[in-house]
Amino acid sequence: MKKILLLLVSVLCTLNVFGQTDAKLDYSAVNTVTKVGDTLIVKLQYFEGKDANNTAIEPTLYQFDFQYNNKLLNKISTTWQPSSTSAQKAINSWNGYKFSIDSQKNQTDFDGQYVSWLSGDASYGSDSDWSVERVTYQDTDALEDGQEFVKYEFIIKDKANTNYSNYDDILNANWANYKKSDNTQVGATGQSTLASLGSIEGGDAGNVTLNILTNIIDDNIGDGTHFTYNIYNKSDIGSGNQPNEGASIVASGTYDASGQAVVTGLENDVEYFVWNWADGSKDYMDNVVTVSDLALVFAEAIGAGSTPNGTSTTFDYYIQTFIANIFHDEAFDGNIDFQDSYEILAYLQGVTSNNTTYITYKDRAVQTGGNESTFGTIDSNGSYFAGIDATFKPTDSNKSFNFVHALMGDVNFSHSWEPDTEGTAIPASTQTNASAARMSMAAGSKFSGTAEEANLDLTSELKNGLVEFTIGSEVEEMIGAQFNIIYDKTRLVLDNVIFDTGNTMTNFSNHIEEDGKINIGSFDQNFEATVKTGTPYKLIFVPIVQLQNTSGLITFKVNEGVKADGTQIKFIME
Amino acid sequence: MKKVLLLLSVFLLVGCMDDDIISPIDDIVEVPASLQIEDVQGLKVESTIVSDEVRMNIKLPYTGTYRVKIRDISKNLVSQEKLDANEGDNILKVYVSSLENNGYTLELTDDNHDIIGITSIVVNN
Repeated sequence: MKKILLLLVSVLCTLNVFGQTDAKLDYSAVNTVTKVGDTLIVKLQYFEGKDANNTAIEPTLYQFDFQYNNKLLNKISTTWQPSSTSAQKAINSWNGYKFSIDSQKNQTDFDGQYVSWLSGDASYGSDSDWSVERVTYQDTDALEDGQEFVKYEFIIKDKANTNYSNYDDILNANWANYKKSDNTQVGATGQSTLASLGSIEGGDAGNVTLNILTNIIDDNIGDGTHFTYNIYNKSDIGSGNQPNEGASIVASGTYDASGQAVVTGLENDVEYFVWNWADGSKDYMDNVVTVSDLALVFAEAIGAGSTPNGTSTTFDYYIQTFIANIFHDEAFDGNIDFQDSYEILAYLQGVTSNNTTYITYKDRAVQTGGNESTFGTIDSNGSYFAGIDATFKPTDSNKSFNFVHALMGDVNFSHSWEPDTEGTAIPASTQTNASAARMSMAAGSKFSGTAEEANLDLTSELKNGLVEFTIGSEVEEMIGAQFNIIYDKTRLVLDNVIFDTGNTMTNFSNHIEEDGKINIGSFDQNFEATVKTGTPYKLIFVPIVQLQNTSGLITFKVNEGVKADGTQIKFIME
Repeated sequence: MKKVLLLLSVFLLVGCMDDDIISPIDDIVEVPASLQIEDVQGLKVESTIVSDEVRMNIKLPYTGTYRVKIRDISKNLVSQEKLDANEGDNILKVYVSSLENNGYTLELTDDNHDIIGITSIVVNN
């Protein structure tokens, strides 16, 4: 019986002990913050403890320390909440300190940590990332349960360029010193830290990397320094992806030789649009649109145009329709017809068109592009503009973006980026041949696609006081050919161009005298006649200085041919 | 008097000699030290870095038709001259005004494209 009584007493005593509850120092966010620059309001609040008799413990001194991360929060104000006029209040602040708890006690044993701090078992050490606040409130009467001590306002700072990757641990209480009027220490506890603020958007995005992808770089035609970028806020971009009037450039610069740029000054979680520009003054711009492009456009035009869903088209990619549509009314019409092909032919012949066209050449580079992942895709309405969208949004987890660049008229992508992502290629099943002439055309030919190799002999020679440049060819089945030739205009004057290509070929020569350039070639728009073998092209120059020989006086850039089935001919010159 | 006769005889002898023996003065190519080639054949330019033009020596094993080729960094042919040249040294020029600033190789081949000499040039117009 004694044992039972003893056990009963023990249980009762235990219940009494566990019946005591500590007072609380509570702290929580009053509002929701979502982005850098928002104001975070934190309330610090008192909840009373109970003694063993479940009677409220009534401290009259309330003192506590808390600390906040000053790299992520900028304190802007404090506001006392109790209305008592008799209370004594004080707030002290120290920057550059962080509390080291007594590890023998729970962090949330706030009164215990206070005692340890007094004894030196817990301490403040230097830490420039943290600031300490000490709140002291003393009155004759105890605070009511749930009474707020003070509200703090903080501005959310950008975590860029800090050592912090999130806003999870930015504020926590260190200790609490609650005492009754008889100086009895009151137990105090609370949560270990302020609840995480979650995902905070915005803020300096830091270094954002842009990469520009194009065959100009890949094929060593030029390098990345020939490209610049202008970045706009996406909200400043209007129809046709053009910046609205008065739109400001957020950032601009030049890519490095490899085609990469590291951009600063952008913000996280903000949408931007980038316009990438190739330097249109480069000589190779005159080599962008050639007879190979002409052949592709003619083949497409013979098929009476294409539609975005790929029905009745010879193109491999949807974007080729956009790039080939070099003649259209103000709005892009997406119809590839003979007007487009004849405008290109006229351009190659050096004939000035009365129409406004979108053919790229030196000092008039008509440019487009987009994100690598979507360039060349079309949306459900068949719009090509979906695939030329260069929108990007830096975030914490993504600060690198690939953009591609293309030039209008460059249907075979010789100086542009050839799409390589899903949804950009027209399904072969929809590439319907629509005419007899078209039956002989393969489904598009590409610059980097299959090419046949053939020998060709291009030589300059001093003969009878004149400089002759001859193109010797044994290449058969060539329905188109083009040679872009540059000559030393300080020593030579072009006197004559002699074609011996056959009776039915359409020959062209475009002489740009001021640049010392001449582009010559031939094309049969019926895809039937072929360039005659032998010496189909000969240029005669008159020297204007005394010459012993001709080495280097005449150079050649573009040398290409195309067969009736669309196959590009890659000339080999020993 | 003897001396005068002797001198006259020498002049007469020289005057009766075949033109072929003494005339090659015009055909002798004066090769500057900077273009001299010790081998029986080869190619040499006066300066590797070239602006506008540079002299070159093509030294040939026999008279015939040859080619001077200019290739870019990818070995693509960008210019080619076909010329008839004499056995031995031939001082000619390479003109680079129509070439972009870049590095090139200069090749001398026979008419069958067999290489006789090769060197590199850097165009710096």
